[in-house]
Amino acid sequence: MSSNGNGKTLTKADIVDRIYEKIDMNRAEIKAHVETLLDLMKHSIKKDHNLLISGFGKFEAYDKKARKGRNPQTSETITLTPRKVVVFRLSRKFRSELNDQQ
Amino acid sequence: MNKSELIKKLAEKKELHVDEAAVIVNAFVDSIKDSLVSGDRVEIRGFGSFKVKDYQGYTGRNPKTGSLVDVPAKRLPFFRPGKELKDYLNK
Repeated sequence: MSSNGNGKTLTKADIVDRIYEKIDMNRAEIKAHVETLLDLMKHSIKKDHNLLISGFGKFEAYDKKARKGRNPQTSETITLTPRKVVVFRLSRKFRSELNDQQ
Repeated sequence: MNKSELIKKLAEKKELHVDEAAVIVNAFVDSIKDSLVSGDRVEIRGFGSFKVKDYQGYTGRNPKTGSLVDVPAKRLPFFRPGKELKDYLNK
């Protein structure tokens, strides 16, 4: 099985449709709420370095120190600046849901 | 922050009932999970994308005891932060 099986992609518009099936609200309102939700998520990842969504997983932001890198094409040495990166760690529950399906 | 705090924040900010905010947040998370479980990709502009990778099982060894262990096949999701999220974190 390839990693993206049938090649379908869920987009923001699909997510809005899914919420629309569950709540008495128009799509434009839902779209606006989803954008706000994403802003709140981003803000939380930045501010708390941590966003925990039970049954799904958590987003963790951590600092990468500056390090020396090399441009492989020109082999010139460059300094990579310190920066924040974000990783997703899945919850145990979601992990078993993903693997029970097989 | 956790999910219930996220629901509360969304309710406050958009003047929604907490129950409505909960329906939105839960449907949002469930739609992402369902897609990944069916092996689809998820792409949320401005935030990031998810995809599931399949790993084949193999026979490994417990490095401490040297005994053989069966590592079963597994599927794991990967998140790739979008440019907007990366820029926002570093700004």
